[in-house]
Amino acid sequence: MDDRFLFSPLQKKQEEESGVNSSRSSYWKDAWKTLRSNRSAIIAFYTLIFLMLMALFGPMLSSYTYYETHLSLKNSPPSTDFWFGTDTLGRDVFTRTWWGARISLFIGITASLIDLCIGVIYGTVAGFFGRKTEELMMRIADILYALPYILLVILLMMVVGSGLFSIILALAITGWIKMARIVRSQILQLKAMDFVKAAYALGASPMRIMLRHLIPNAIGPILVTLTFTIPTAIFTEAFLSFLGLGVQAPLASWGTMANEGLSALRYYPWQLFFPAGFISLTMISFNLLGNGLNDALDPRLRR
Amino acid sequence: MKKILEVKDLKVTFNKWHQKIEAVRGLSFDLYEGETLGIVGESGSGKSSAIKALVKLHPESITQMSGQVYYGKSELIGSTDKEMQKIRGREIGMIFQDPMTSLNPTTPIGAQIIEGYRRHFPHISSKEARAYAIQMLHRVGFSQPEEWISAYPHTLSGGMRQRVMIALALAPKPKLLLADEPTTALDVTLQAQILILLKEIQQDMHTTILLITHDLSVVAATCDRVLVMYGGKIVESGPVHELFASPRHPYTQRLLQSIPRLSQTKEEPIIPIEGSPPDLSLPLKGCAFCDRCPSAMQICAREEPPLFEEKVHCWLYSPRRL
Amino acid sequence: MKKPLIQVQHLYKTFNQGVQAVSDLSFDIYPGETLGLVGESGCGKSTTGRTLLRLEKATSGQVLFEGSSIFSLNEKEFQPFRKKMQIIFQDPYASLNPRMTIGEILSEPFTIHQLARGDQKKRGVKQLLDLVGLPLAYVDRFPHELSGGQRQRVGIARALAVSPQFIVCDEPLSALDVSIQAQIVNLLKQLQIELNLSYLFIAHDLAMVKYLSHRVAVMYLGHIVEIGTSDLLYKNPKHPYTQALLSAIPLPDPVTERSRKPIILKGELPSALNPPKGCPLVTRCPFSMPICAQVKPTMKEVAPAQFAACHLEPG
Repeated sequence: MDDRFLFSPLQKKQEEESGVNSSRSSYWKDAWKTLRSNRSAIIAFYTLIFLMLMALFGPMLSSYTYYETHLSLKNSPPSTDFWFGTDTLGRDVFTRTWWGARISLFIGITASLIDLCIGVIYGTVAGFFGRKTEELMMRIADILYALPYILLVILLMMVVGSGLFSIILALAITGWIKMARIVRSQILQLKAMDFVKAAYALGASPMRIMLRHLIPNAIGPILVTLTFTIPTAIFTEAFLSFLGLGVQAPLASWGTMANEGLSALRYYPWQLFFPAGFISLTMISFNLLGNGLNDALDPRLRR
Repeated sequence: MKKILEVKDLKVTFNKWHQKIEAVRGLSFDLYEGETLGIVGESGSGKSSAIKALVKLHPESITQMSGQVYYGKSELIGSTDKEMQKIRGREIGMIFQDPMTSLNPTTPIGAQIIEGYRRHFPHISSKEARAYAIQMLHRVGFSQPEEWISAYPHTLSGGMRQRVMIALALAPKPKLLLADEPTTALDVTLQAQILILLKEIQQDMHTTILLITHDLSVVAATCDRVLVMYGGKIVESGPVHELFASPRHPYTQRLLQSIPRLSQTKEEPIIPIEGSPPDLSLPLKGCAFCDRCPSAMQICAREEPPLFEEKVHCWLYSPRRL
Repeated sequence: MKKPLIQVQHLYKTFNQGVQAVSDLSFDIYPGETLGLVGESGCGKSTTGRTLLRLEKATSGQVLFEGSSIFSLNEKEFQPFRKKMQIIFQDPYASLNPRMTIGEILSEPFTIHQLARGDQKKRGVKQLLDLVGLPLAYVDRFPHELSGGQRQRVGIARALAVSPQFIVCDEPLSALDVSIQAQIVNLLKQLQIELNLSYLFIAHDLAMVKYLSHRVAVMYLGHIVEIGTSDLLYKNPKHPYTQALLSAIPLPDPVTERSRKPIILKGELPSALNPPKGCPLVTRCPFSMPICAQVKPTMKEVAPAQFAACHLEPG
């Protein structure tokens, strides 16, 4: 190329495509990338996927049902016939473990989702309206929070009776407060931001501001709190079942299995080991995932 | 004039969020004793990254640096942490933009000055150090320094805090002062006072000042020489009067045209520079200013311009142009 | 004589802890004009802008829009006024909802006020993007994909969506690079002419304010100390604070800059919790007299169409 060409004027391309970030990525894609780089969180994530898949399909893998008894083979250790062994009534522990998974996970997730709904609504309303309304609402929440959680659940269960949906109800009624507090503090932070003020200035209704501007930007902490609420619910359910207030036989949750397994601990440890082990694994996984999500979802608001 | 700092081809790259950001792409300049050198540029020009790199203030885990920085006989980029600790503060002082976060909120300001001073002069008695701290506070404009010596930073106004920062930086009597946007966060009246103060102190203590700013007016008021940075490199340098009277690089010219003057009338428009500063996470081919430059040529998109006339990196000044 | 669009009468705003942000503010803004509002941090200029739009609740005082009082209305009655008065914010990084696309951000005003739907809405959004010089492709982008200057344009477009007559510009340039500031201020100027907008231009860059404003008001500690046409005020400031302020503006010209000596006000800004009884500048003014500490000066005409609140006699 000769100098005459090189020093001739350059034709400029349109500014059309010169946005700043040429890598088009959304909030979720960015979050996933960050999460992926967190080893323990990703392992936890896949562990949970595995557990849920097993909860769905595990019982189908074995040829036994969760209730059929093989009294002659009761209390047998893990073998090729009974992968996790049998319990005191000769029932297949493997199948019961995954049925238990269904129950425990179902209870844990459902109760947590109900808590999410109540907590988000309560926290958003309190945070948004502020002043007297907020003060009143948060005082009530504070008082409820001070009451011993487990005691409340037990009392409720005694009133409502036992059974799957009673447990869920009891857990849901007592567990929403943490979510409400976290949501409220997020809302307070967001309210001060200019884009919320802009919505006010445009004349947006409170409903629109809450649904369109506040809650979507609080999703990060909401999700993280959810991943911590679920293991708490699972554990509480296990504890309740342990106390005999859980689901009734022949249905089993991990907690009821642990309860039964405890008495057999000395001679037949696998009956406690499997349910208790899976409770622990589930809880650790949710906690690690929650920590990972916290990092992945948080700094997005300020870019 | 004696050279106090020689920077040769300094490059700084950050690894953040799985992205490589080439903040400084080859910076070379000399700094002479006693002068005030201004480095002016907008966000993304690399000026802040460069100045922090001079004293290795960037976190090692995410930063890659190459090139040489000679302070006297010592080369700084290759030196160890221990060696740098002897230089930071004692030889090279720093003032930052935000005095709120640069002062320790839990320690009274007098104690901070004394502590900083004694770190470099451990043999001074506490009585002498205290007297010196009072003297420094007085020097930076506190009319009753004894009253303020035990005050906590949060009881001070923004302007006072900035003065304390200056006192802190100057207490060990460094030869070189790096000032990173020292007045950007201040109101205009305070800015005027701080700039006057810096000039006075420079005359008293014969300090060399390297001043980073985005504000051309600050440069006009305080600097002897100026470096203009864009896209991680110097595009133009020169004595301050020359730069403002006859700017050579199109960026400098356009920048000066885009600032409103108090003297202009309503009808005289200010002319903006179209487009935005370059994205430093992407590799740059040719001149960084090319896509915003009204005089861009074919060669500008292909090759980076070298230094011409010892002042400007721009193909317009190439002797190859007819 | 044109009738004023906005009339502010004896506006006061005191915050919860007793901080008097705005004291006895009175001024008018005429259709098609820009009133610049300058002052240093803590002078109350931002609060003034927000209070006008009822983003803050005034402690007392009146604001009239085309003659109607707007503070006494409830939220529902005030709704139609929200279409006439809008605001642009300082921080382009916080003024757009990070979870909405540009298209959604710009359609929202249409939805809220039921100004358009479906295809009409889409066309409206395109028109807005054209007005502020952004390509149509940006409709699907998120704020974090845009630069500061581009986000600021979106903020301006959003304010324009409801076809307002008056826009409060709350430091719209401070967070932008110098080379971008000129783009935005030129856009604002052009839009003012095209759409006959009035602006309250709040800023601390005095040169920019002069460039964009027809008249300028100078604030100190919650009070307006001087107000007048920008050319005359800058050439011949009468109030001691204005004089000190203007003398301190650095100029991008090394020759004049080095021969100037700015007027230094002694002391520090008094606390807004405990403002001085008389004139707010009394603790720092080089010309203070005994009366200044006792009696608050009222606005008086010190030059044609120029008013200052000072006990000194003009001349």
